[in-house]
Amino acid sequence: MNTETFSENAKAALKDVQLRGALRNATTLFGKRRREAAASLSNWEELRSEARAIKDDVLLHLDRYLETFVENAESRGAQVHWARDAAEANEIICRLTLERGARNVVKSKSMTTEEIHLNTALERAGMHVVETDLGEYIIQLAHETPSHIIAPAIHKTKRQIAELFTTELGMPPTDDVAELTSTARSTLRERFAAADIGISGVNFGIVETGTIVIVENEGNIRLTTSLPRTHIAVMGIEKLLPRFADLDIFLKLLPRSGTGQALSTYQSFITGTKRNASDEGPDELHIVILDNGRSRMLAHPVTRQSLACIRCGACLNACPVYQQIGGHAYGSVYPGPIGSVITPQLIGMEKAAQLPYASSLCGACREVCPVKIDIPQLLLHLRSEISTRQPAGRRTERLAFKLWAMIMTRPWLYEKTAIAGRLFQRWFAPPVKAWTASRDLRPIEMESFREHWRRTH
Amino acid sequence: MNTGDARTEIMRSIRAHLARSAHYDGRETRIHTDPCKSASQQPSQPVVADFKRNLELVDGHCILVHGPLEIEDAIKRIAKGKRIATSESPLSAKDLFEYEVGITGGQLGIAETGTLVLDSSVERNRLVSLVPPVHIAVLDASRIYPTLGDALSFLQSGNEVSPAITFITGPSRTADIELTLAIGVHGPQELYVIINLDN
Amino acid sequence: MKVSLFVTCLVDQLWSSVGTSSVEVLRRAGCEVEFDDRQTCCGQPAFNTGYRDEARQVAKKFIEVFEQSKADAIVSPSGSCTAMVHHFPELFNEEPHWVERAHAIAAKTYELSFFLVRVLKIEDVGASWQGRLTWHDACHGLRDLGIKSEPRRLIQNVRGAELVEIENAESCCGFGGTFSVKYPEISVAILDQKIEAIERAGVDAVISGDASCLMQIGGRLSRKGSSIRVMHLAELLAGHG
Repeated sequence: MNTETFSENAKAALKDVQLRGALRNATTLFGKRRREAAASLSNWEELRSEARAIKDDVLLHLDRYLETFVENAESRGAQVHWARDAAEANEIICRLTLERGARNVVKSKSMTTEEIHLNTALERAGMHVVETDLGEYIIQLAHETPSHIIAPAIHKTKRQIAELFTTELGMPPTDDVAELTSTARSTLRERFAAADIGISGVNFGIVETGTIVIVENEGNIRLTTSLPRTHIAVMGIEKLLPRFADLDIFLKLLPRSGTGQALSTYQSFITGTKRNASDEGPDELHIVILDNGRSRMLAHPVTRQSLACIRCGACLNACPVYQQIGGHAYGSVYPGPIGSVITPQLIGMEKAAQLPYASSLCGACREVCPVKIDIPQLLLHLRSEISTRQPAGRRTERLAFKLWAMIMTRPWLYEKTAIAGRLFQRWFAPPVKAWTASRDLRPIEMESFREHWRRTH
Repeated sequence: MNTGDARTEIMRSIRAHLARSAHYDGRETRIHTDPCKSASQQPSQPVVADFKRNLELVDGHCILVHGPLEIEDAIKRIAKGKRIATSESPLSAKDLFEYEVGITGGQLGIAETGTLVLDSSVERNRLVSLVPPVHIAVLDASRIYPTLGDALSFLQSGNEVSPAITFITGPSRTADIELTLAIGVHGPQELYVIINLDN
Repeated sequence: MKVSLFVTCLVDQLWSSVGTSSVEVLRRAGCEVEFDDRQTCCGQPAFNTGYRDEARQVAKKFIEVFEQSKADAIVSPSGSCTAMVHHFPELFNEEPHWVERAHAIAAKTYELSFFLVRVLKIEDVGASWQGRLTWHDACHGLRDLGIKSEPRRLIQNVRGAELVEIENAESCCGFGGTFSVKYPEISVAILDQKIEAIERAGVDAVISGDASCLMQIGGRLSRKGSSIRVMHLAELLAGHG
């Protein structure tokens, strides 16, 4: 499924009864938990405002902050690599694995690595790659892509997962979640034990200390970043926070917004490499800094806020569109409201032109975003960009609105058109048909309000 | 290595795009109607009681004891008959997979979330607290701080923090299968924090 | 208090009783109501579909018309149209003198329920209506303008009416302007979740402050042969429901 067939994807998703049930349960539960978690902090709104202010500062001075972060990380032993795009990132990472004679790679959940299709690149380079986050492991076995930022396998039932485990792992059939989890645990432990390289993402990069912070519930990130001799962390340029103390705000906002937890089970704060060779932990830390279209978003204050996203997934759960169609329909690693605004900016407007229009602009996303990204404002901005830059595909629509503006700026013409509309309303083409397929339509009044007013005053 | 070219280009791209936005940056007019609630202070509670309650809320176990003998007793009760590794044992990572219980100290506690803080520069706790299915941590009551902010501040010394710090809040968990909570995924399935009230 | 009515093109052409009801309610609340028939539209359809130039042209016309009014306030029976007017200043980033004029108009433009409760401080307009009803929070009114308690207070003072809350009162109805016809299947899927809650609540009518939402909800209810009616808040308050 890709972004260009969004409309068809969405229609197909709407017919999938099981998917819609799963989405309904998941988004309702996550939404409820988020609300309760937010309500438990009396200063929730202040935290959001502060977080947004911090992100605005970071993004406005991203060049300086990035240079300082890299300096601090490198002086503490990290090796930093720069990747302009996905291809370059994959080339760097594959080279690192090959140089070290690696064969087995364990990965923890990272949207950034999905974005660049890292697994495919690693496999082509001859690596065995296994996703260790349970949800990601499930979809890897199923040869699928994640359908939600936080819960990648949300679209699958227990039964489907059990069948998958039976087919792929030879596990006897069961419906018991604890047993399924236990099978995954023991299967993946073998992979951890044999791993040469561990690859993770980064939730936050702390500028003043050169620290990378990674957040999880399962423990696979700790294993991925502690057991293998080499740890490669992939980080988007925008993931920075200036001060270690800023984590107080962001570690309060992220888990509550994502899953309703006060704190996720584990946070790993990794700064450079170990001080002594005999200490625990990897011998090498590589941080791959990824642009891949992000720097472009800095060019306008409205688009710049896209980079404030901390990937909590709250907007997905709140979105009436996502709730009905799920993540796969968007055809992008990043679905839902945030996906609708960053996907066109990352992969190009032409390829993802439908996404900014697939919203009723209800604003539920803006309400739940921990960093107050105004997604409706962003959607409107992108719609304006698309209609300005892609006249070819929207010629009829553009003409219609030019005509509309002509009419609406001339009251006499507006009234004449309305009267004509009364007579010809049955002939109004596609928009009316799209409506009347499933909804009745009020006819145009025989006497408009203004005519009534003139008659009675 | 590509570092020179890619770094230069990325930095150039960042600067160029920020320069372009400068044109709009003071001109964007927006009417904000966001209400801002003011913070109210959380009532202060004894940190140990808070820590215990919050840890238990996330399915961790919290045992309050007085002194080394009671610590030993508690450990014996939890780990009787099981293979024990401690942060002092010089075990390799691979060996640890055979052990059933890992015992570490605890460098800090955070009361408001029931969080245990481990600093791997103080003791070899990183893998011992992770690989065996049961983790026991012994923490002095005096090392428990009320808030996350307090702990972060303690962990930082100027621009320096230890190379590997871990926050642990309960046993490992997932809800990836049909949103059903499963305890004990990749990390420990059981977490015991023994708090020594004498220290 | 002199009020200039901003009736909205939708109400003007498709639901004029919302307009006449609004006038009646405002008069009952002690206002003198004028209507400038040179008004047309707030520009929302163009703005929401990405046609800012066209939206700007229409916004300028709106500002020019309403600047000529001596009224104390411009009042509209639509949360989304009122919100659009409040967004006018954003349209004029390249024309600072228009920004000022836009701000001036926006500052005196109010949605009806907000105007009654917050400006006139009136919560009882002497209305009556027998039956169970529920309120749908239209998105722009709720999230852009912060309108939540005002309509409920007004409804609670309608004699004979029993207000029943649905658990998803704040959820979108799926209209979203051109979204409703660009992605009709998604629009209706969202709508059906709202309808489901409404039917379960066992109400006689659904009330809202936006005619567009009411068209969406009402259009589906009538297609399904439901006896549940839709009514605009103004119609309820004027007793023309």
